[in-house]
Amino acid sequence: MIDSREASAALADIDDIVQRVKQSQLYELASLAAVWWGMLVFAGNLVTWLWPIHAAYTWVAVDVVGVGGLVALRVFNPPHHPHGAAHSIRILLVFVLFFAFGYLCTNVVGHFGPRQLGAFWPLYFMLFYTLAGLWFGHAFVAIGLGISALTLIGFFYIGEAFPLWMAFVNGGGLILGGLWMRRI
Amino acid sequence: MAELDDIIHQPLRLKIMAALNALPAATGLEFSRLKKLTGATDGNLGAHIETLAKAGYVQVDKAFVGKKPQTMVTATAAGRGAFARHVATLQEIIAGKQS
Repeated sequence: MIDSREASAALADIDDIVQRVKQSQLYELASLAAVWWGMLVFAGNLVTWLWPIHAAYTWVAVDVVGVGGLVALRVFNPPHHPHGAAHSIRILLVFVLFFAFGYLCTNVVGHFGPRQLGAFWPLYFMLFYTLAGLWFGHAFVAIGLGISALTLIGFFYIGEAFPLWMAFVNGGGLILGGLWMRRI
Repeated sequence: MAELDDIIHQPLRLKIMAALNALPAATGLEFSRLKKLTGATDGNLGAHIETLAKAGYVQVDKAFVGKKPQTMVTATAAGRGAFARHVATLQEIIAGKQS
């Protein structure tokens, strides 16, 4: 038989591995979501660069398809806790509030031009990514801060090709970040 | 008085069972992911999974995904029960009900 110190150490090992499993599962789902958004954002920025006149409709389509994909991801990977449905509704509300607040900032309080919009949405999105990382894992923080920094560099130093820069920085960054999460 | 489960008590086997028990029933972990989570080597992990499988605590399924072999390890109902009893015994020891 073991003493209480050894028993505590065994329970601590169990807690540690359970946390790692949960984080691994979270990273797996987040990875799929990041790659999905990354591809859409890449396409959205590319269209904005090539055909700026269609940018507004393109971004509405990107947002609708993006959220639709996340809902599908949720449906195929249902949460395993007893309040799953309520949890899903809360996540949907987070997205509604996220887009509503972003719209309020960019179109009501301020009147952002295409360049400002191209920088605001990724920075705003990455702010949430970084904040989530403080609770859910350092990978979110690294991806959030990395893409934010590159977005600001592009905003201040890249000229006409800013949407192309953002296609690779934001779209490519999310795809690479998502693939990286699967390897952690 | 409950006894510690000798099969589960070994540190790596405890980690394997803890990882598998963190998942919903009938959900398994791939060998490579289990290896990453536990920090074990291929040979060591394989040997301990075999011990757990012989005791009926885990089920091992081998399949090919494309051309890549994939080994999936899942905790059985007996394994989950044994793990729960083992954890309860550890908690009793800490609470001073056993020594």
